[in-house]
Amino acid sequence: MANATSDAAARPKSGTRLISLCVNGEWREVAVRPRNMLIEVIRDSIGLTGSTASCESGTCGACTVLVEGRPVLGCITLAVECDGKQIETVEGLAEGEKLSDIQEAFLDQGAVQCGFCTPGMLMSATALLRRNPKPNRQEINKALEGNLCRCTGYNAIVDAVLQVSGQDGVKPVMK
Amino acid sequence: MSELKYVGKSFKRKDGPDKVTGKAVYTQDVKLPNTLIGRVLRSPHAHARIVRIDTSRAKALPGVKAVITVEDTKGIKHGFVETPRYPPDQEVLARGKVVHVGEEIAAVAAVDQITAQKALGLIDIEWEILPAVFEPEDAMKPDAPQIHPSHPKAPGKHSNIGGSTETQWGDVEQGFAESDYVREDRFECQLRTHGYLEPHATLAHWESDKLNVWTSSMGVFVKRAKLAKVLDLPFSSVRIHKTYVGGTFGGKIDLYSHEYCASRLSMITGRPVQITASREEIFSAFRHAQPLILEIKTGVKKDGTIVAQRIRAINNAGAFRGSGVVVIFLAWGFTMIPYRIPNLKYEGLSVYTNHTVRAPQRGHGAPKVRFAIESQMDMIAEALGIDPITIRMRNAREPGEELPNGDNTHRGGLAACVELAAEKSDFLAKVGRNLNSPVKGSIRRGIGIGASAYMGGTLIYPNGSGVIVKMNDDGSAIVLTGAIDIGQGSETVISQIVAEELSIGMDDIKIISADTDVTPQDIGAWISGNTYVTGNAARQAAGNAREKLLQVAAEKMDVPVEHLLCRDKVVYHRLNPEVKMTYREIIAASIATHRGDTIIGEGFWRTMRDEPTHPSLATTKGRWTENYAFSAQVAEVEVDIETGEARLVKALTVHDCGFPINPALVKGQIDGQISMALGHAFMEEVLTKDGYTLNPNWLDYRMPTIHNMAISEDADVITEQYRVGQSYRTKEVGEGLISGILAAMGNAVYDATGVRLYSTPFSAEKILAGLRALEYAQKNAKPGDKVRA
Repeated sequence: MANATSDAAARPKSGTRLISLCVNGEWREVAVRPRNMLIEVIRDSIGLTGSTASCESGTCGACTVLVEGRPVLGCITLAVECDGKQIETVEGLAEGEKLSDIQEAFLDQGAVQCGFCTPGMLMSATALLRRNPKPNRQEINKALEGNLCRCTGYNAIVDAVLQVSGQDGVKPVMK
Repeated sequence: MSELKYVGKSFKRKDGPDKVTGKAVYTQDVKLPNTLIGRVLRSPHAHARIVRIDTSRAKALPGVKAVITVEDTKGIKHGFVETPRYPPDQEVLARGKVVHVGEEIAAVAAVDQITAQKALGLIDIEWEILPAVFEPEDAMKPDAPQIHPSHPKAPGKHSNIGGSTETQWGDVEQGFAESDYVREDRFECQLRTHGYLEPHATLAHWESDKLNVWTSSMGVFVKRAKLAKVLDLPFSSVRIHKTYVGGTFGGKIDLYSHEYCASRLSMITGRPVQITASREEIFSAFRHAQPLILEIKTGVKKDGTIVAQRIRAINNAGAFRGSGVVVIFLAWGFTMIPYRIPNLKYEGLSVYTNHTVRAPQRGHGAPKVRFAIESQMDMIAEALGIDPITIRMRNAREPGEELPNGDNTHRGGLAACVELAAEKSDFLAKVGRNLNSPVKGSIRRGIGIGASAYMGGTLIYPNGSGVIVKMNDDGSAIVLTGAIDIGQGSETVISQIVAEELSIGMDDIKIISADTDVTPQDIGAWISGNTYVTGNAARQAAGNAREKLLQVAAEKMDVPVEHLLCRDKVVYHRLNPEVKMTYREIIAASIATHRGDTIIGEGFWRTMRDEPTHPSLATTKGRWTENYAFSAQVAEVEVDIETGEARLVKALTVHDCGFPINPALVKGQIDGQISMALGHAFMEEVLTKDGYTLNPNWLDYRMPTIHNMAISEDADVITEQYRVGQSYRTKEVGEGLISGILAAMGNAVYDATGVRLYSTPFSAEKILAGLRALEYAQKNAKPGDKVRA
């Protein structure tokens, strides 16, 4: 195995940058390399592990977070691009112990099973409901089309969005 | 206590709040200080001899802390099946040769991901490329490249036979001779993957002579047993910790090499080692499901009654035995449950090919078997001029029927399911409608039905579940269960059962689960038995605690136990509710007047206590389950005859789930399976060439998105009741419902277009080709010919 002297060669090359991100309303300074993706920085440097990492290629939506209010795929967004920006993650949705309406609706509708897609799904739904408080089914489908869920078959997720927006008479199915 | 308060109600998930706030801890979320990153070197060849392997350059790379090859292992083999007939056949790292692309050869632990990756590139291997074979029927030929020697007891003189299942009853040849109509068809299914969102991930930490492991799995006790075995450690030295699991669908059972590698690398370095598989790695090197070929010959009477059936199943089993020899056993089972078959001959062959090893996938062969049988059933019905409902009712097994292996259907009701499905979907009014109506535009609509049955809680290691209910001083309870919540809701269901049996609130219950050091053994979430087996253990444990509470209350209140009842954490005198004691008072009294006893209840459950073990994979002898769940499903599809594209519009599932402990969770299972089935039917296929995966990502391997979802309706035909204090027979609902709907979609495509598909997926290309063939036949038809359009 490499010894302590030769380990000096393993010293990270420079290129590290200090960036600041306002995550869920809290400014954080983090050192990142240019190649680091936003999801790595959120999960590993800042330590907010609610956002999940699944495909590393922008195909599943599990790592969706909001940057300046817009849903962004954390696994294909460079962290350095987000310097100085507002980031929202699933950890920021509840106010203290009080869950947001969409979080409650996911529980009411059984829209959560394994839960791995849930953080990304919630962020996409949150962004949708902010810009369009009464989305129709087509608009819901469009907003959530980038978020894969292998467990629920999606119907319960659509119902959760309809429940929050008070449409189609959707009532909680779980108590 | 006659009215049920907790079971049979749709309570919200216990793990829900953690999952919607990002607090749920999955394996990747467990962070330990000083953790090294592990990476696995995988074979670039489908079949090759390793002439020489040199890790010295990798070891010399700064930042690399350990490199292992098979020489650093104990050489202990493991297998999905480990029986005298099928001994363990796989080493944790390749020894001498590789047999599939992606096979694990070496592993590295380094200070970071980039260094680990770089080190893999510095491992020098000299290869001798061997001829490879990928199709099972090619691999069976005498001159095919030999991947492993054929099993000594395999029938015939085929090459590369990993295992076989043979069984028969009655006289199948005589049955065909007595039949009015006989037909023979061949069906095939594509290679599909599980598509769990959470990648395979493992964190291992060897500390103070103890291996602590966090890994994404379907059962911690199975993992512990296999990991301890290949590491040659006592079980007590290996602890699998609980983490939430981001989907499995069959793809996270059995031991995976990276779990061994993370563990061994941690033992060598003394530091935590984390290995997470990339999505590309999962697609290219990890286990997918089993593509089956099914040849079916069926003979029937004029009225559609099945007289004889001969089935041959050939499994493209990949490069090790994996679960390949299980699926050919199961294929027999999924054949014989729903319909009576007086004469049957079954042969299943599991054939080695240079593909990745196979895993179970939700339904473990049932979707493929039912697709084949239910498609042929419709073809037979059409030939005989019978409708699809009548032919199924004619052959459906009755409640209380004994099956050829000694199993009993008990109260299972297939006929009730078929009947209700036909009625609710208005099936007979809709079927054939497209064929008989004038054509408008390019969209054709069709309807189809499929039936299925599935087992639950079958015997396989560790065979049984235990649950412990610890009462706290205030009457609340801690429940210890080895069950792992992979999304199905085991923690919620177990809580509901404990709440019902103990008459305490859902919020009074905290679950400690899936930790091999802390919780009792559990069968795991992979044989559709958690609600039944672990659920009954929970019922017993809570009942045991209740008995102890009542005993103390009876002493203190000087009232016979049978005069007492529990309600909302209080024990009352049945006739005089003024005479009562709270659980808090009873527990205090128990501690004061006994040996200091707090109240702890324990419960255990195992299916078929009179059966020593699971049935014979080779001969099918022995019982399989004590609770079959039957189902009938109806699909309504739309096909665009210009593009060949088909989609599921509406699914109806009529199932017999025993007793739904949580109806909304049952519905969640149904909807999820409909989604998976439509992926199977119309979208998904792992494409390979020479053993390489051509579409190792979700852009090219299309899974259903929100746009693909269909209307999913369901109805249950409950065949078992729940009574407090009595054992119950819940049935599986988590994996048996892909099958009927898959078959129904195939039949519905036929109803819409007249195109009969013999293989999945029902791609646009296949449907268009079928339509062209029909057009051609129509053009060239002579008067009197029957041609559909």
